[in-house]
Amino acid sequence: MRTKKLVSIIVLVLILLFAYFSYNTALSNFTLSDKNSSYLGGIKFHRAASGLEESFQIAQQENKPVMMYFWAIWCQYCARFQTDTLGNPQVKKILEEDYLLVAMDLDIDREVAQKYGVSYPPYLVFMDPNGKILQRVPGAVEADYLLPIVTTIRDDVRRK
Amino acid sequence: MIPLGDILLYASLAVSVIALVGLISREIKNIELLNKLVTPAIIAGAGLLTFSYILLTYYFVYSDFAYDYVWQYSSADLPLIYKISGTWAGQQGTYLLWVWVVYLSAAWLALTTKHKTALARRTQIITLLSGMYLIIITLVQSPFKLIIERPEVVDLIAKGTLTPDFVPEAGNGLNALLVNFWMTVHPPLMFIGYATMTIPFAAAIVYLLTKEDGWEELGRQWARFTWLFLGMGIAVGGVWAYLVLGWGGFWAWDPVETASFIPWLTLTAFLHAAALHRKNKATFSIAAPILAVVSFILVLYAAIVVRSGIFNSVHAFGDSSTGTLLLVFIGITILVSIILGMRRYFEESEKLEEDRGFWNKTNIFYVTLLLFVVLAFISLWGISFPAFIQLTQGLKVGVASDTKNFFNIWSYPFTIILLLALGFCLNYNEREKEQQKKTLFIVIGLSIITMFLRTETFYVLDHASPFWAREPALYKMIGNISVISIFPSMIYAAWSTIQRLRDYLKIESLKPKIKGIGIACVHFGVVLILLGAIISSNFTQTIESANIPLASKGQLVDIGNGYGVRIIDFSTRSLAETTNIPAGDVSISEIYGSPEKYANGNVKISGKVANVVNVQSPPPVTYTSYLQIDDGTDNIWAATQAESPLNYQEGMELTVDGFLMTNFKSNSTNMTYDLILFSTPDQISGVAESGKYKVQSVRLEVYQDSRKIGSGVAEYLQAESGSGTFPLVDSSITGTDVYVIFQGLGGGTVPLTLKIIPAVNFAWMGVVLFAIGIILIMAMRTKSRGG
Repeated sequence: MRTKKLVSIIVLVLILLFAYFSYNTALSNFTLSDKNSSYLGGIKFHRAASGLEESFQIAQQENKPVMMYFWAIWCQYCARFQTDTLGNPQVKKILEEDYLLVAMDLDIDREVAQKYGVSYPPYLVFMDPNGKILQRVPGAVEADYLLPIVTTIRDDVRRK
Repeated sequence: MIPLGDILLYASLAVSVIALVGLISREIKNIELLNKLVTPAIIAGAGLLTFSYILLTYYFVYSDFAYDYVWQYSSADLPLIYKISGTWAGQQGTYLLWVWVVYLSAAWLALTTKHKTALARRTQIITLLSGMYLIIITLVQSPFKLIIERPEVVDLIAKGTLTPDFVPEAGNGLNALLVNFWMTVHPPLMFIGYATMTIPFAAAIVYLLTKEDGWEELGRQWARFTWLFLGMGIAVGGVWAYLVLGWGGFWAWDPVETASFIPWLTLTAFLHAAALHRKNKATFSIAAPILAVVSFILVLYAAIVVRSGIFNSVHAFGDSSTGTLLLVFIGITILVSIILGMRRYFEESEKLEEDRGFWNKTNIFYVTLLLFVVLAFISLWGISFPAFIQLTQGLKVGVASDTKNFFNIWSYPFTIILLLALGFCLNYNEREKEQQKKTLFIVIGLSIITMFLRTETFYVLDHASPFWAREPALYKMIGNISVISIFPSMIYAAWSTIQRLRDYLKIESLKPKIKGIGIACVHFGVVLILLGAIISSNFTQTIESANIPLASKGQLVDIGNGYGVRIIDFSTRSLAETTNIPAGDVSISEIYGSPEKYANGNVKISGKVANVVNVQSPPPVTYTSYLQIDDGTDNIWAATQAESPLNYQEGMELTVDGFLMTNFKSNSTNMTYDLILFSTPDQISGVAESGKYKVQSVRLEVYQDSRKIGSGVAEYLQAESGSGTFPLVDSSITGTDVYVIFQGLGGGTVPLTLKIIPAVNFAWMGVVLFAIGIILIMAMRTKSRGG
C-alpha cells in the first residue's frame, strides 16, 4: 500500500510538472495569433476580420498589394507550407517588405472565407490595394512556384 | 405540429420515467406493482427509439428534404449506401444513434437480469438517467427538425419569397470526404462504443455508492465490447485518413481522433485493473471503478470535442448548442464520482495491506495502470490546453512547432516503459522473480544505451524537418533520442507474449486455453501496431509535385529518385446511380464510311473525349471548345460555343448531337477538319452536367528502376461541398505500400505525389489481432452472475 501511494505521488508530481512546462512553452514559443496579428512561419500577419478595411487603407496609403492567407491550425499542409514556402528567405523578404499581409483563420473568419470563395486551407488570395483580386493560389505550392508570382504582382502594382 | 420523430422521442422519455419511478419505488418502499412495469417500459423505450431511427433512415432513403437534417447531409443522386450513412453524418443523427444503443443495452440488461438483484436495479437507474439525459440532448438538436424552422427559411417565408410548405428540390449533399466506404462504418462504430460504455459506468457508480458486489462481472462484457468498438472505430478512422485524406499516414494527432483515443486508453487501464480485481476483491477496489467512471467521462468529453467547434480540427462539423448540455453532464458525473471515490478511499484506507515490497504483481500492474493514465493525460492535456488558452486569453497557440511533435516526444518514453511493463507482467512468475528481474534490468539497460545511438534519420523527431530548428531545448533533447531504443523493449514484449502463449497452449481445458490465446493475440497486436507505426512514419519516401502531362499517356515518365510513372488511362464520371446519357444514333466509323449520307444534316454520336482544345473567339460567343470524340470505332471532332468558359475534359463520356459539316477550316486552331460536328452546349449531354459528385480517376503504374512496383487507380472527387482525394494504395508482400495522391487535373497535367510507405501493414495486422483477441476473450467468458 505504501509503495502504491509513493508511486502515485511521484507520478502526480511529474504530471503537474509536465502540464506546467508544456503550457508555458506553448505560450512563449508557439503563439500563432493574438487579437491583432498572426505569427505564421515566422512572418507577422495582420489579423481581425473586422479590421479588414483598415488593412486596405494602409495598403492604399503605401501602395502595396495585399496577400490574404487562409490557414487553419488543424491543416496538415499549412504548417509545412508556412515554413517551407512562405518562410523561404527570398519569398519571405518580398512578402515582408512589399506586401500588406493578412491572415485569415478558417475556423474563425468563416464569413471572409465565404466572401472570397475559399473553402480549404492553405489558400492565398492576391489583391491590389483597392481589393481587386489579382490572383488565387490554392493549395500548398512550393517556393519556386510562388516566387515569380509574388514578384510579378508586386511589380505590376508598383507600375500603376 | 410536432414531427412524428420527435413524438417518438417524447414517448420514449415518458416510458423511461415510468420505468424509473418503478425502479425507485421498488428501491425505497419495496412496491412490487410498478416493478412489473419496469421491463416492459424499458423495452417499449428501446422499441420507440428503434422505430425513430428507422424513420430517420426512411427519410434519408427517400430524400425527404422537408427535414433540415436530411437536406443538410444528403442529396437525391447519392447511392443508397451513402443515403443510409447520411443518418450518422452529422451531430443530430449521431446523438440519436447513441441514445438508441444506450436503450438497447438497457433493454438487454433488463432481459438478462430481470432486475432480480439490487445491483441490477440500481445499475438500470443510472443507465436510464444517462439515457434520458441523452434523449433530451437529442430533442434539443433534433434530427427531425423541419427545414421551414431554419432561420434563413423563416426569414424568406416572412418576406413571402417562400411558401410555408416549402420543400427544397435538392439536398445540400454529403461532404465529399465522407463519400467513402470506411466513413460509412467509422461513426457507428464510435458511437456504439460510446453508448455501450454506459453500463460499466453505471455499475461502477453503484459499486462506489453501495459497495454492491458483482459490479465488475455485470459490466465486464460491456467494457470489452466498448473496447472493441471504440478501438475498431479509431482504427477505421485511421484507415480512412490513410486512404482518403491523403495524409500519407493513419494517425496525425488531430484533436478529434486523439479525443477518442483517450477514453480507449483509460478503458484499457480499466480492463487490466478489473482482471486483478476479479481475483481478489481488495485489489484495485477503488482504482478499478474510478477508471470505469473516468472512461465514461472521457467518452462524453470526446463527444464535446467532436461537436463543440472550440477544438479546431479537420472534423469541424459545425458549432453546437448541445455542447453546454454535455458539459453539464460531465460536471455532474465528475462531482459525483469525486465525492464517492473520496468517501470510499477514506473508508478503505484503514485496513492496510501488508507491504510486500515493490516487486509484486499488484504493484507492477498498478504501474501499468498509471502508465495508461499518464499516456491518456498527455493526450488530454495536449488537445485541451490550447482550447483553454483560446477561450480565456483569445490567443491561438500551437503545442509545438508541429502538433504531432508534442505528442510524439512526450508519449515516446512512456511507451517504452509500457512495453517493459508488458514484457515483465505477462511472463510474471513468483518463483522465478529474481531471474525475471535480471532480464528486465538488462532490457532497460539496452533501451537506455540504444537511446544514444547516432543514426542518419531514425530519431523521435525528424531532424531534417523545418520544424526541428524551432523546437525548444527540452523538446530537442527528447527528439534526439534514437528510435532504435524502442526495439529492445519491443522484442522483450514480443518474446514474453510468445512465452506466455506457450504456457497457455499447455493448458488442458479448452476455455482458459482459448482465452489465453486471445490475451496473447491482443498483446502481440500492440507490438505489431507500434512496429508498423514507427517504421512507416520514419522511413516513408516522398516525391512531391510530380506533374505528368496527360499527353504523355502510355509513356513511362521519370519523376526522379529512380521512380517513374506511366499513365494508362484517365476518365471522369459522376457518382450517382444513374447518369442518363442518351446513346448515339450512329457510330463514327459509319459517318466516315458514307459522309455524303450524313453531311449537312444532324447526327448524334456518343463517345469518350480524347482531346480538348479551348479557344477564345470574338464576341458574342467568346469561348469555343473543340472536342475530339472517340467511340472505339473512330474519332471525330466536335465544336461548341458559349459565353462562359466550358469545362469539358479528357475522359468524359459525352453524347453530342450536332450539325455535320465538311471541310471546315478553323482560323483559331489553324486546322482543316474533313468532318466536324457543330453543336450547342445543350445538345451535349454527359457526366458534365449530371450529378453533384464528379470523380476524376487516373489509372497508372509506378516503376522503380524500370521495374513495376505498383499499379491501380488514384481518384479525385469534387463536389460543391468540398473535394476529396482517394489515393492509389498498392500493398506488396514485403509490407511496403506504394501510395499515390492525385490532386485533380489542372492545365492538362496530372499532379501526383508519390509515397513509398514501408511496414504500414504490420499496424493493420496488429489491429486485426486486437479484434480477434478480444473476441476470443469475450467468447470464453467464465460464469456470470447477475449479468
